Amino acid sequence: MSDFGDRVDLALADPILKIAVERTAGTAEAKRALAVDAFPDFEDARDRAAAIKDHVIAHLGAYLEEFEANAIAAGAQVHWARTSDEACKIVIDICKAAGARTVARSKSMLGEEIGLPHALAEAGIERVETDLAEHIIQLADERPSHIIWPAMHKTREQVSLLFKARHRSPHQEETIAAMAESARRELRTQMLGADVGISGANFLIADTGAVCTVTNEGNAELSLVPPRVHIVTAGIEKIVPSMPHAVHLLRMLARSATGAALTQYTTFYTGPRRPGDRDGPEQMHIVLVDNGRTTMREEGLAEMLRCIRCGACMNHCVVFRQIGGHAYGGTYPGPMGAVLTPVLDGLPKSRELPNACTLNGKCQEVCPVRIPLPTLLRGWREKSWREGLEPKTMRAGLGVWAWFARRPALYRLASGSALRAMRVLGRGWIRRLPLAGGWTDHRDMPAPEARSFMAQYKSGRRR
Amino acid sequence: MNAREEILSRLKPTVPGPAAIGADALLIAPERPFVDATALEEGFVAKLSLPSIAATHDRIDTLADLPAAILRYCIEQGLPPALYLPPDARLSGCDWSPFAVHEAAATEEPVVLAVARCGIAETGSLVFETAPDAPMLPNFVALHHIVLLEADRIVAHLEEATLPGPQPRAHYWVTGVSGTTDIEGTYVRGAHGPRFLHVILVRAALPRR
Repeated sequence: MSDFGDRVDLALADPILKIAVERTAGTAEAKRALAVDAFPDFEDARDRAAAIKDHVIAHLGAYLEEFEANAIAAGAQVHWARTSDEACKIVIDICKAAGARTVARSKSMLGEEIGLPHALAEAGIERVETDLAEHIIQLADERPSHIIWPAMHKTREQVSLLFKARHRSPHQEETIAAMAESARRELRTQMLGADVGISGANFLIADTGAVCTVTNEGNAELSLVPPRVHIVTAGIEKIVPSMPHAVHLLRMLARSATGAALTQYTTFYTGPRRPGDRDGPEQMHIVLVDNGRTTMREEGLAEMLRCIRCGACMNHCVVFRQIGGHAYGGTYPGPMGAVLTPVLDGLPKSRELPNACTLNGKCQEVCPVRIPLPTLLRGWREKSWREGLEPKTMRAGLGVWAWFARRPALYRLASGSALRAMRVLGRGWIRRLPLAGGWTDHRDMPAPEARSFMAQYKSGRRR
Repeated sequence: MNAREEILSRLKPTVPGPAAIGADALLIAPERPFVDATALEEGFVAKLSLPSIAATHDRIDTLADLPAAILRYCIEQGLPPALYLPPDARLSGCDWSPFAVHEAAATEEPVVLAVARCGIAETGSLVFETAPDAPMLPNFVALHHIVLLEADRIVAHLEEATLPGPQPRAHYWVTGVSGTTDIEGTYVRGAHGPRFLHVILVRAALPRR
């Protein structure tokens, strides 16, 4: 059994995980539906959002240069990183130059993608995760299982135990509100005392040089305003031409992610502290990270660069809702993760992810920027086949099928006898099927009709 | 080749023509929620009362009425009359004698006053910018965030809240109170930032800054 298969088995056997995932993803699905119904022309708005992102991706170089010039004019320092290692090195060098001992981090999936938590630990810099969910998984020493709710796999009982073991003055009452309050007490002073604040970016505004972050907790602002240095790590696809373009995507992001009309705190940072300001960082650094994005643009995955990381595709995915995020094994789970992980970790290591999809098309239906996720997943399947990555049994099986399929008379004879054999195994449902244990170990197989479609058609019973 | 040159060399445009022309065309008649332009204040106040925003509000005629309105709020909430005041010259004409006034925000500030530049009827958001007389951090360490807003400064849509030209260091939209759904998807008010938001709408225009 493969690593992915093992992880899926563990996830399916976990009685708590499915309840935890279902609670949060189910709520998100219901709230999104209400928000979309209340919005005029959400379908047209999705077209526009996709068009904005496509326009930016087509002119990505020009917009990055415009953003860079405006950010520098506002006093920020702009860095470029080809790979995750380059990006981490830039961040660590800035932290060391600032003499930083502690870093407050505002949740960023790009930071996870480039392995920033690990790089900070190696450099001996203390990392304080300030988003409540990131704080929970930092205490549990785990990775995020969702891009919006990184701790969705944890129940309140598990969180309670963690906080009681690790907080200085933990909650007394066993309520979620009391647990959140305990984290608030624990983290407030740590955020205000950090040397460096690190965030991602939801949008980079080309014509102003501003960096936009959105949160509902207010932890980004508390993490980024007090420290001496603010470092932003952002994927190069986060660019938008101007504020009105950002506004359109913000409307789509909030509704698709949580069903809200807008996030509670939507902030645009342009450069460091100005003369006379009473707060704000003395330095602002922006690290523009490629890490496979130019290759995606060159090699047929440009549509994936539209992604605004709302999480709707995973909330609506029948596979994600069974196995949760950790089983995917990469930084990004769910449908968007199954497309991105082969880019980031290589197809040989992740070729099973595009196969773990029913192609029901639900993700594409809810994607606010209309990414054709099933098509991109099929593209990975084809590539895996062409490059000979599929296992021998799969290749041999398909080879046998193809040999028969090219010989129609023989194919009908073979499928006819297979049908008769399967009907011997069960009426209505088949509990065990030779060579198909992968299916029947977990669920019954429907028994087929007595005769194939072609046989019925020929005898005139199908009209 | 350094990283910048290498990345940019691979990002040649995939469609011809300057980017700017196409960008403007993408903004014609954007889909957005309907806002009644003849009733912006009513629309804004209705948003404040939504459960997702859960802000309270009050109305005063002139700036001179502000201390009394804040005192009223403190008494209703059972709060001692202590207040962080931003160094905004427009507020100095008010009589703050009923309050113990903080000029520097502490790690925990029970009550913080801020002056919004405008409000947004589409979402019930309050719009702020940093300036020497408008620090940012007090608005996030507050437990009760009290915001003064001129009633005539309510705009319809998010786009109208943006500023043209060079930007302030930070421009931020506050929509309700700090909240989280990170534990079992259950909503909790006051995650890291303010737990209460109280908007005071003032009828008369404020003096120029």
